[in-house]
Amino acid sequence: MNEKRRIGYTCAYTPLALIHAAGFSPYRILPDVDCADRAGQVLHDNLCPHVKRVLDRAMAGSVPELAGAVFMNSCDAMRRLADAWAAVRRDVPAALVDLPVVVNDRTVSFFRDELERCAGILQSWGGVIMSDASIAEGVGTHNRIAERLERLRALAREGRLPGGFPALQEAYNLASTAPPEEAIARLDHIESGALAAPSGDGVPVFVFGNVLPEPEAFTLFEDAGARVVGEDLCTGSRLFARIDAAGPDPLRAIASSLLGRTACARTFDAEHPGGLAETVVTRAREFGARAVIAYTAKFCDPYIARMPAVRDALRTEGIPFLALEGDCTLRSIGQHRTRLEAFIEMMR
Amino acid sequence: MMHEFFSNLESGLSKAIGAGEASPRKIYARELARLGTRLYGGNGGVAWCGITAPFDLLNAMGVTSCFVEFVGAMLASTGVVGSFIEETDHMGYSSDACSYHRAVMGASRKGMVPEPAFLVGTTNPCSGGLAVIENLARRFGKRQYVLHIPQDQSGGNVRFLAEQLRDLSAFVAAHTGAPLDPDALRRAVSNTNEARALMAEAYEFAKAVPSPVATKDLANYGIVMALFLGTDAAVDIARAFRDEFAKRVADTRSGVPNEKVRLLWIQNRIQFKNGIDDILAREYDASVVIDELNDITWDAIDPDEPFEGIARRSISIPFNGSIANRVAHLKKLAREYRVHGAVNPCNWGCRQGTGARGLIEEGLKEIGVPVLNLEVDCIDSRKFTEGQFRTRIEAFMEMLAGRPSPWS
Repeated sequence: MNEKRRIGYTCAYTPLALIHAAGFSPYRILPDVDCADRAGQVLHDNLCPHVKRVLDRAMAGSVPELAGAVFMNSCDAMRRLADAWAAVRRDVPAALVDLPVVVNDRTVSFFRDELERCAGILQSWGGVIMSDASIAEGVGTHNRIAERLERLRALAREGRLPGGFPALQEAYNLASTAPPEEAIARLDHIESGALAAPSGDGVPVFVFGNVLPEPEAFTLFEDAGARVVGEDLCTGSRLFARIDAAGPDPLRAIASSLLGRTACARTFDAEHPGGLAETVVTRAREFGARAVIAYTAKFCDPYIARMPAVRDALRTEGIPFLALEGDCTLRSIGQHRTRLEAFIEMMR
Repeated sequence: MMHEFFSNLESGLSKAIGAGEASPRKIYARELARLGTRLYGGNGGVAWCGITAPFDLLNAMGVTSCFVEFVGAMLASTGVVGSFIEETDHMGYSSDACSYHRAVMGASRKGMVPEPAFLVGTTNPCSGGLAVIENLARRFGKRQYVLHIPQDQSGGNVRFLAEQLRDLSAFVAAHTGAPLDPDALRRAVSNTNEARALMAEAYEFAKAVPSPVATKDLANYGIVMALFLGTDAAVDIARAFRDEFAKRVADTRSGVPNEKVRLLWIQNRIQFKNGIDDILAREYDASVVIDELNDITWDAIDPDEPFEGIARRSISIPFNGSIANRVAHLKKLAREYRVHGAVNPCNWGCRQGTGARGLIEEGLKEIGVPVLNLEVDCIDSRKFTEGQFRTRIEAFMEMLAGRPSPWS
């Protein structure tokens, strides 16, 4: 059992490599634990259910012991979560790391400096003094996990991962919460069980959106007749993209890698406004998907605002599209069963 | 249609002002009408922006610029916003989005948003506003510049934003064909500083007990004045308010006769016609004496370092940064204005503003100032239920009447 102390986090842009480098174990506070709904005492009901359920967990004490929590300034809701955390969990120090919305030399430099500040905060929480070597080691740890998940993803796409995408989501959740060495060992074990021949059928679909950590959601997709062939979710592949730490300044390299990965709707190319729509079309085609399903938490402004353009682009390309909103509970996911079945049936 | 509306409004107000019926509010409204006339004049050169864009810099460069939320507020105040919001339903926009932003997107679909030359997005105050700028850039096929407003002034944050502002001036020059004239910027900074000083004086008068301010006097004032910064008009408007409040204080004339209850208004006003102001004034001798954004949170800008000064101002806006800072600012206002209570219209769809209302309520409670949280859509009048509001307000005012003033 790894005895590293944990650092809580909630966003796919979190610099996990730095947390590793500081000698901590990153622990994603997933919104998948049932506890009393108390966040409304602090935050308005119109706020993202992901954020509110994380806060519910914090208020209920249903998170493991943490040395600190790192929040990213990825959207209004996350910023408010950092505020609320500071108010309700004074025993667990929190840091808010600013995050640019567009990527250029200037913003990468700014984010690099934010990561340096974050490194200092981690050190002040009892982390080891970071050096280029320890940062490289942290990046290495992150990449070892990311590479394994990349292989599991490929197996899931090929239909060779026992349990398919629901099992892949379980692997993501494991990698998000377990100490790194334990996660690596268990991911290796999962990979060792790969099937020799593909299994599964159904209508190939590409799933994108934000927070969908429930493996049961993917089971629901499959039960409805879909075969997930790819996903772009912040509780999935987006979190575990590899980091390229090459270059003289490892912090800048991490900054560049984090900002350069497949973007959440909150990050965009100023020279290509609404580019998310084209990205979704491209990725659906890359994966050979016949349809696209969007799953987003309610009240998510970055996705709400971009979804009409995504819908238009998919319609233009003749790709059927189903947009689902939920509150990060199995209950709300289950309510979509009829819509999902009708959507898949339409393509049979 | 919009050009005609603003043009008629401007000429009507000019006539009234010329006939000796001038008031600060009329002078302010006339300038808004002039801005609307320019925006909808069809002459190009318009820039749609985020709320914390550097309007004095844009004004110095001859660009007619405005934040997109202006469109939603304007459509709401004229009572026609419903069909524009509905239009976004057909686009697949969720009804959970902010109605300011839904209104402007719907208006753009209906041809009621003039095509801009370019756009300027700002990360402060909200993700939704920034997304609208991106959507409009896509819709019109125009370039956008995005300003990342850091959360505070620590480290190299001011320098980072100042560098972006320099980049922005080059971006604007590439569109207008005219580089930034340092003398024009210096004049703009001078106007900004003069307006700032006059606004600060007006706010000082507003703190008097009883206050010279009636609920409607300074509605939307702080946020809208940002649009005129850098211009002579900003100075004229600010002077008009300063002079009027000075006179009222000298005459011991309060905004609400027999002022009994002083209120702080959090965030933005409700933009469509509603009866709240009248209920407060007529039934409770109450007045909103201070709005959250009616404050000067920034130092005068050094004309030799204009970009740094503008950067500090943008970062200092109370909606930026942590809620702890915002609560500290609200507490400061509550103390300075000796308010008895606060009203927080929790605009449905506004994550950044209403998101942490519980923390705001708790913070003001610490200094004995209760908060009335209203569930309201500040733009969409179709959702407004006056009876329910009246009940909430009555209960709040009765509660205030039954407790000692926090300042006695």
